[in-house]
Amino acid sequence: MVDMSILSSHHGSKAAADRSRQRHWAEIRLKAYGIAAISIAGLALVALLWSVFTKAGLVLTESYLTLPVTISADEVDPAAPNTGDFNGLRQQALRAAFPQVEDRAGRRALSDLTSGGSTFDLRDAVVRDPAMIGKTVPFRFLASDDVDLYLKGEFGTLTPATHSGRLSMTITGDAAELFSTANDFGVILALTKSELIEQARFQRRQAALQENGRRVTAENAAAMADGAAKDAALAQAQTFATERDRLAGIADGYEARAARAGGTEELTSSVASVLIRAQGGWFKLTEVSLTGARAQVIVPPTSTDEMGPESWGVLVNDLPEASRKLTDAQIVWVESLRERGAVDSSFNWRFLSAGDSREAELAGVWGAVVGSFWTMLVTFCIAFPIGVLAAIYLEEFAPKNWITDLIEVNINNLAAVPSIVYGLLGLAVFLNVFGVPRSAPLAGGMVIALMTVPTIIIASRASIRAVPPSIRDAALGIGASKLQTSFHHVLPLAMPGILTGTIIGMAHALGETAPLIMIGMVAFIVDIPGGVLEPATALPVQVYRWSDFPERAFEAKTAAAICVLLVFLILMNAIAVFLRKRFERRW
Amino acid sequence: MTNQTLNDRKVGHQDVKIAAKGVDVFYGSSHAIKHVDVSILDKTVTAFIGPSGCGKSTFLRCLNRMNDTISICKVTGDILLDGKDIYDREVDPVQLRAKVGMVFQKPNPFPKSIYDNVAYGPRIHGLVATKPDLDDVVEQSLKRAAIWNEVKDRLQDPGTSLSGGQQQRLCIARAIATAPEVLLMDEPCSALDPIATAQVEELIDDLRSNYSVVIVTHSMQQAARVSQKTAFFHLGIIVEYDDTTKIFTNPTDQRTQDYITGRFG
Repeated sequence: MVDMSILSSHHGSKAAADRSRQRHWAEIRLKAYGIAAISIAGLALVALLWSVFTKAGLVLTESYLTLPVTISADEVDPAAPNTGDFNGLRQQALRAAFPQVEDRAGRRALSDLTSGGSTFDLRDAVVRDPAMIGKTVPFRFLASDDVDLYLKGEFGTLTPATHSGRLSMTITGDAAELFSTANDFGVILALTKSELIEQARFQRRQAALQENGRRVTAENAAAMADGAAKDAALAQAQTFATERDRLAGIADGYEARAARAGGTEELTSSVASVLIRAQGGWFKLTEVSLTGARAQVIVPPTSTDEMGPESWGVLVNDLPEASRKLTDAQIVWVESLRERGAVDSSFNWRFLSAGDSREAELAGVWGAVVGSFWTMLVTFCIAFPIGVLAAIYLEEFAPKNWITDLIEVNINNLAAVPSIVYGLLGLAVFLNVFGVPRSAPLAGGMVIALMTVPTIIIASRASIRAVPPSIRDAALGIGASKLQTSFHHVLPLAMPGILTGTIIGMAHALGETAPLIMIGMVAFIVDIPGGVLEPATALPVQVYRWSDFPERAFEAKTAAAICVLLVFLILMNAIAVFLRKRFERRW
Repeated sequence: MTNQTLNDRKVGHQDVKIAAKGVDVFYGSSHAIKHVDVSILDKTVTAFIGPSGCGKSTFLRCLNRMNDTISICKVTGDILLDGKDIYDREVDPVQLRAKVGMVFQKPNPFPKSIYDNVAYGPRIHGLVATKPDLDDVVEQSLKRAAIWNEVKDRLQDPGTSLSGGQQQRLCIARAIATAPEVLLMDEPCSALDPIATAQVEELIDDLRSNYSVVIVTHSMQQAARVSQKTAFFHLGIIVEYDDTTKIFTNPTDQRTQDYITGRFG
């Protein structure tokens, strides 16, 4: 038996003070954990948004090259302007700008500066204004994705290097010999030597791998009994040893070259590119020694006289040619166009208004936005009524017995089924049995509705359950039927919660990719879908497809599409908040 | 506050509005009401008193079949409204509840405007055809519930913005607007302060001229003040049912005597 009358003295004791201090600290610790958790989540969000937005920033503008183009009546028939050879016109315009490019490969590289899509822009412009036929007019050609990326600094920038000597040159055909009175080329030589050391290191690592192989095979051989197998193992070890020595030899060679003062070194495509700008001409260094260099002439100079350091320049692009899609020659052409004032950029409306394309510079996100819109519309029209009505039935009308319990458990299970399973179901049932058109938003919306319905039911039931029973009593008490009670009183009161649940479900569904892939909404679709039966793609699928493309420019497109997806999501949520506020005000 | 003289309490007629015969109510396995017989008179205030859990609210909810909403609740026996069994298969509980209105313990106005609260019943039952008629019904109901003067200038304000006493009177107006014949009140004043209670009691007394009012209350003073007939419930049975004057001055049963003098309950 505890004597409770003496327990009161406990409250003033030291033990009680200790307990209170412990509680106090526990509270402070919990707060600290909470703040830490929120900070980590916040940082993760900031990092995510930062990486997406910085990448997407590249898509904000698109670049144009303005070139004079002669639209002769021979090429374009004034009677039917849309049948002309506009691709030929585009190439002619580029060739006219760089007449020195004569070989096929060079011309193809030149034509790659502008986008194939600019052909259609030119055609449209001529169709709009047939008066252009027979004239030479300046036309803004859309730059190709690689040129665009170079102009945005993604493929390295040309940085001037210091030089002090007088430059003299002799030109034979495409090749040129350049000499400087100062040690200008020695600096570049040092650059190539550091690259040699890097390569030597690589060969040494390869040699070490061969040595490992030799050692293991030799150990195995030592453990074997004499015979054919042992001989084969020994021979294998010998092969490893030979290869090791060969690689070591190559490395030795590189190191010797790097250590040697002076000498002549080749500038390969895996080291920084060095361009020389002199007398209106452009050269690309191919071999370099202490005093001079061999170079490839890209744009011939106006004169070959010796010149002072002020009239020539050394431009270095630190990104090696092998690591970028734009060759040195193409960079020179772009730079030379830039000097003529023919390069400009403008806001990239095309990205927001065009459908998908294989060409990164032409690809737009609008087709996917419209596809997502149709899909969400179908989803909402199917999932919302079914979900809400099911929830009302289960909460207000259904008898509480083991069957409804079973249904409840299964609805909760359905909400956790992986989305790809719904995709398979949609493929098997909607497409194959009901014959819903493949790739259509109708099919996608139906599949996504399947996965959204459980979420809506669960949220709606919780929300309906939260309506005070006194409201039901009040309505029933004045003679409202169960149906009237549910629809006049319970449902409107539950509506804000139901809308929240619906939006959560829809937002989840908006980002869903797997089921859409299963029913064929992953196809390459250029046209903007005009209805729920036309082939379409959706935003997350577009993101998935673009992220898979090798072109560098699609990386930025992917990030930008993610931004559009986020905006779409925020817009949807804003609508939900707006509707919720309206409902709350009405009541 | 009403101060009825003993003469006021005389019920001048013996018209039975509701007759309960051998009513048993079960909640699952528990037997909540045991074989209750009671006759409730027309144009009379009948009070049900008794300790907590004695079954008076349960019995009240049987009278308009509100217990139907509780799935484990089972009612046997006969309850006749104007001689017709309300638990008959033919009877639509929705129609019944339009005839037998109810006011609950806690004020429960709809989260709608004051006007819509009162107009809801007439609307769903199609009592009036035109808007002016509906306005009239709303006004009369609010006047009878003695709240018209307080809300006439803000009929479009939400009903939930009123004070507790006003909300309860609004609920009474809402019940009256359906033009019921019987009004059931389940401890209508338990959440109200004395002033609001006095207003509601006055209202109940006033309603007697048109309706048969059944009120469940924990306050014996209230039962004594407003009712003409009183039934004392105890452990699921009616111990005593008689004129209020008789119950409070000269009860027959010892248990009634003990309860009203505060010896138990």
